[in-house]
Amino acid sequence: MNKTLLGYVPKESPIYEVHPFVKLFFLLVVSLFPLFVAAPEWNFGLLIFLLLLMFLCRIDMRTLRIYVPVAISMGSIILLSYTVLGGRHAEFQVVASVFGFPIYWERLRDALVVYFRILPMIATMVFFLSTSRERDVIVAMRSIKMPFVVTYVFAMALRSAGMVLEDFHIVRQAEQARGFDTTGKSLAYKIRKYVMYMIPLFALSLRRAEEFTNALVARGYSFTGKAARIKRADYILSHYSYKLHDYILILLIAFAFGLLLYLSLGLGFFDLNKSAFIRWLHQVLS
Amino acid sequence: MATAVKKADLTAEEIWAVQPGERRSVGVIHIVILALLIGIGFVVGAFGSISFPLGFGVNFFWTGIAVQQVGAVWFGGWGVLAGAIFPFFSNAIAGTPFYVSLAYVPANAVQAFLPAWAFRKFKADPRLKSGRDYLILFIAMVVSSAFGALWSPLVVLRGFGLLTTESVPLFIWGWFGGNVIAGVVFNFILLKALSAVVIRTPAFVKRWWS
Repeated sequence: MNKTLLGYVPKESPIYEVHPFVKLFFLLVVSLFPLFVAAPEWNFGLLIFLLLLMFLCRIDMRTLRIYVPVAISMGSIILLSYTVLGGRHAEFQVVASVFGFPIYWERLRDALVVYFRILPMIATMVFFLSTSRERDVIVAMRSIKMPFVVTYVFAMALRSAGMVLEDFHIVRQAEQARGFDTTGKSLAYKIRKYVMYMIPLFALSLRRAEEFTNALVARGYSFTGKAARIKRADYILSHYSYKLHDYILILLIAFAFGLLLYLSLGLGFFDLNKSAFIRWLHQVLS
Repeated sequence: MATAVKKADLTAEEIWAVQPGERRSVGVIHIVILALLIGIGFVVGAFGSISFPLGFGVNFFWTGIAVQQVGAVWFGGWGVLAGAIFPFFSNAIAGTPFYVSLAYVPANAVQAFLPAWAFRKFKADPRLKSGRDYLILFIAMVVSSAFGALWSPLVVLRGFGLLTTESVPLFIWGWFGGNVIAGVVFNFILLKALSAVVIRTPAFVKRWWS
């Protein structure tokens, strides 16, 4: 199994046949797709496509469970924002009334449009995080010729996040061993006492910073100066090369985006007035 | 690297002033601090984003503000950079779309920058020795969070068409309250508890980068 930023993926997963840059390119481009699509059924189709990709890449779908509350809370907030908090509009069509709040068709429609835009955007991000290892992000950045210091900081940041999480567990266990227990206490109490984790976490990180620095200086790394001017062989990149299918995938993603732009901005293909789902829903609610 | 000033008790003026003969330059330790702050912010910020979500990366209680503002007070530009970058990661983990997170960068940068600027400009003591220091921190927290609270719902969320005009105030107050309350709970204690140690380390930044 390979540990990714969000979970574990089997080493045999077809995603590892793909160059890390292709995954980054997919994230950057496909995240834009929903912004040009208003019709909810097309965005829903994109969501299904992304879930299918995750399944094909053998991502443990149980990791997606943490996003179910996110999707529900986001959906509820969008719905509330567009209906109850949406104000009163005499020009809109009332389809229902909840506790005296008129629910307008136009607001309900807009809430659905926004929600179905957000879901595939989140799924694209989850797909990237679920399939990318720390190393993949670094390789992707280096393959687009990002400066060494930038990729190094990113690599160290991703690695230190894991260390901080480990430190957090150690601090929590140490405090529990000394009798600190928040079970049954109020949320306000737990929030106040959260600072008991923050101070040791900061202190540990400051100590780590000095250890890291000494290790880096001892290995000849330097922010400026002689060591930085020496051309180093990029060892990690030597393990990754673009294959024919990587070029094809990049071209396919770029072509799909171009086509989407043409259909959306040129022909208005994804407009709401062309949405079969919206027409059907309007008929049902009217 | 900085050569630490050896003196029993520094005044607020002395903390920020480069002493005669003291050499300060950007070093590897600052790069390391930047990476570590992003790492802490990633974890601490994600906790707030997942535990108290209002939606689209806006939270009722965002713990990441402590790393953003305290880090910037201690480590200047490196803290500001970290404060602008780490919410991008913590929001991503909490399910905020890529481009929405990217559009929050200016808000997060200002939230980190203002307290750092106020402490340097008004020579406030990061150990919070006087009421003036507390006041400067509090005002900087409020003003910077107000900017973030206005930028994010009005520019980002409205720009992406995610909110109606009527629901914007909920998100403005959500962002503002979530950051200020968390800042009040954590920033004062962290500065009070750790500043005395941090200002004597070579990682401490007196100017903006060293």
